[in-house]
Amino acid sequence: MKVPNKRGYFGQFGGKFIPETLTCCLQELEDTYKKVKNDKKFNEEVAYYLKEYAGRPTSLYFADNLSKLLGMKVYLKREDLLHTGAHKINNAIGQILLAKFMGKKRIIAETGAGQHGVAVATVASLFGYPCEVYMGEEDIRRQRMNVFRMKILGARVIPVKSGSRTLKDACSQAIRDWVTNVGDTYYLIGSTVGPYPYPLIVRDFQAVIGQESRRQILKKEGRLPDYLVACVGGGSNSLGLFYPFFNDKGVKFIGVEAGGFGLSGFNAASLIKGRVGVLHGAKSYVLQDKFGQIKNAHSIAAGLDYPAVGPEHAFYKSMNRARYTAVTDKCAIKGFNLLSQVEGIIPALESSHAVYYLKKLAKKAAGKIVLVCLSGRGDKDLEIVQEYINKRAKGQGARGKGNREKKGERR
Amino acid sequence: MRIKDKFEQLRRENRKAFIAYVPYGFPTEKHTKDIILTLADAGADLIEVGIPFSDPLADGPVIQAATSLALERGANVSGAFKCLGELKGKIDVPLVIMTYCNPFLSFGMDKFFRQMKSASVSGLMVVDLPIEESKEYISLARKFDIDTVFFVTPKTPISRAKKIADCCRGFIYYISVTGITGPQDFSYGSLASRIKRLRKLTKVPICVGFGIHTHKQVKEVGAFSDGVIVGSEIVSFIKNYSCDKNFLDKLKNYIGQLKN
Repeated sequence: MKVPNKRGYFGQFGGKFIPETLTCCLQELEDTYKKVKNDKKFNEEVAYYLKEYAGRPTSLYFADNLSKLLGMKVYLKREDLLHTGAHKINNAIGQILLAKFMGKKRIIAETGAGQHGVAVATVASLFGYPCEVYMGEEDIRRQRMNVFRMKILGARVIPVKSGSRTLKDACSQAIRDWVTNVGDTYYLIGSTVGPYPYPLIVRDFQAVIGQESRRQILKKEGRLPDYLVACVGGGSNSLGLFYPFFNDKGVKFIGVEAGGFGLSGFNAASLIKGRVGVLHGAKSYVLQDKFGQIKNAHSIAAGLDYPAVGPEHAFYKSMNRARYTAVTDKCAIKGFNLLSQVEGIIPALESSHAVYYLKKLAKKAAGKIVLVCLSGRGDKDLEIVQEYINKRAKGQGARGKGNREKKGERR
Repeated sequence: MRIKDKFEQLRRENRKAFIAYVPYGFPTEKHTKDIILTLADAGADLIEVGIPFSDPLADGPVIQAATSLALERGANVSGAFKCLGELKGKIDVPLVIMTYCNPFLSFGMDKFFRQMKSASVSGLMVVDLPIEESKEYISLARKFDIDTVFFVTPKTPISRAKKIADCCRGFIYYISVTGITGPQDFSYGSLASRIKRLRKLTKVPICVGFGIHTHKQVKEVGAFSDGVIVGSEIVSFIKNYSCDKNFLDKLKNYIGQLKN
């Protein structure tokens, strides 16, 4: 089976569910991408910037202390060491070179935690493009430093006031901008979501994570790992890690979704709690009510706070290639503290979900080799964690952010 | 009344269709029925009823705000069908539903068409369902004898526009500008010539929407098409005046002004 197929489907997921205005530019994007995908010069240019500018390859670090603590061999793929502090730069470099190849004049993007926004603002500055980043007001509040970083880099951050004022709405607004300025604007999407060919393009540009990991683990261990673990929001760091191992049947994939306040409360666990639907141009698992209205997601990690998931993950779920689980806000904070205190590495709150899951995995995977994607560093989250700890200390409970609860109510 | 019959009637009378858009449940569910009756009374030739979706990608701020308020107040697909069903036999104007994929697919295509049929709704347009994803949708719609309206835009190459026209029944929704709904100015010249070109390839009526907000535009665009669709402008009017005592009279007058 060819995945994705000609119509952009991963099994029964994906496709192009978009307003007519966008069909032609998606076709243009697809045609261009097919052309450059195997173009030696294009790939050399991507590789050059990944190495010299972003700092690839990233190390595959054997977390000795954590391994001893958990009784298994834990390797961390250190995407947190990249320029701008997260894996998002891999995709941003690839896509901006694609935009350049297509002769586009302006870059737009959506962002949740701001990591993708920062990555786009960075490459837009590097390649001299005007850049506008859509960001939900709620996320702007949560991620002030990233907003400031984007501004310093010369990007304009446009607050999105509609809906839940988070990533979902930023994405909708970026698509509206694209529909309006379709001729000269390149929409640089940040995750493996959206209409085809975006889920494919983003996965391909992120696949460098898995390709390097595969080489590195073979060199260090002489064999493939037993488990790959990564957090799943839209799904870009996880698919980047998983995809190059797709045919290695002995390697188990575990995707960790954001459990938010818990699986019976507000969360962002689309694969576990969602049902098949269409959001932002793709058919996949979507958090929705019984009438097909999109629910507001919640996660303490702004980068996971999205009520849908990339169609390729839905495909992996349907064929049992990957297993999906969820870790709550509260446990993510524990993961955050654990890695900081044991290994001296402060992980992003997104990656902290994957880190925490190791504690659960350890119970059944003693002695196994586990490779975890540390998708980003946690500097951006210090304020949130501080706020969370302070509120807990004041006895306001595990729910943390009061105004976020209101946000989750029925719209 | 069927859409086809309506356009035949318009042709005989040498008139162009005036299509009014109203989102279901705005400002409240109670308003929708009266608004539709008034629009029909004021001379709307077709009425497009929007079923709200939480993430309307093709809509500008006016319709976004209206549909999100409707959702906040509990509007849903079942309610919309109940409301439209109650209008059965009370108006002689074809109704067309406009919505997005997710509420449509989530409800179940088959069930959706069944409900449309029993509420005597003539046609359907699903904004984010392009023809490539519509095979099952079209064949099921034909089975239920529901008209399918698709969109053509200024960016659509003529060869594709022809393919889209072949999937359309009822009318073709020609989007005036590359953009989202809401008042805009656009150039008539290129629009007229694009429609003329498409006209040669299809017999299906071509109606123009997006951005149309003045009487002058209604007349000018009507001159080179088979009809115009006015949405955001009507929604703004409802938003501003729905609390007034004689709101429905005002709405009727206003539609008259836009149309004639």
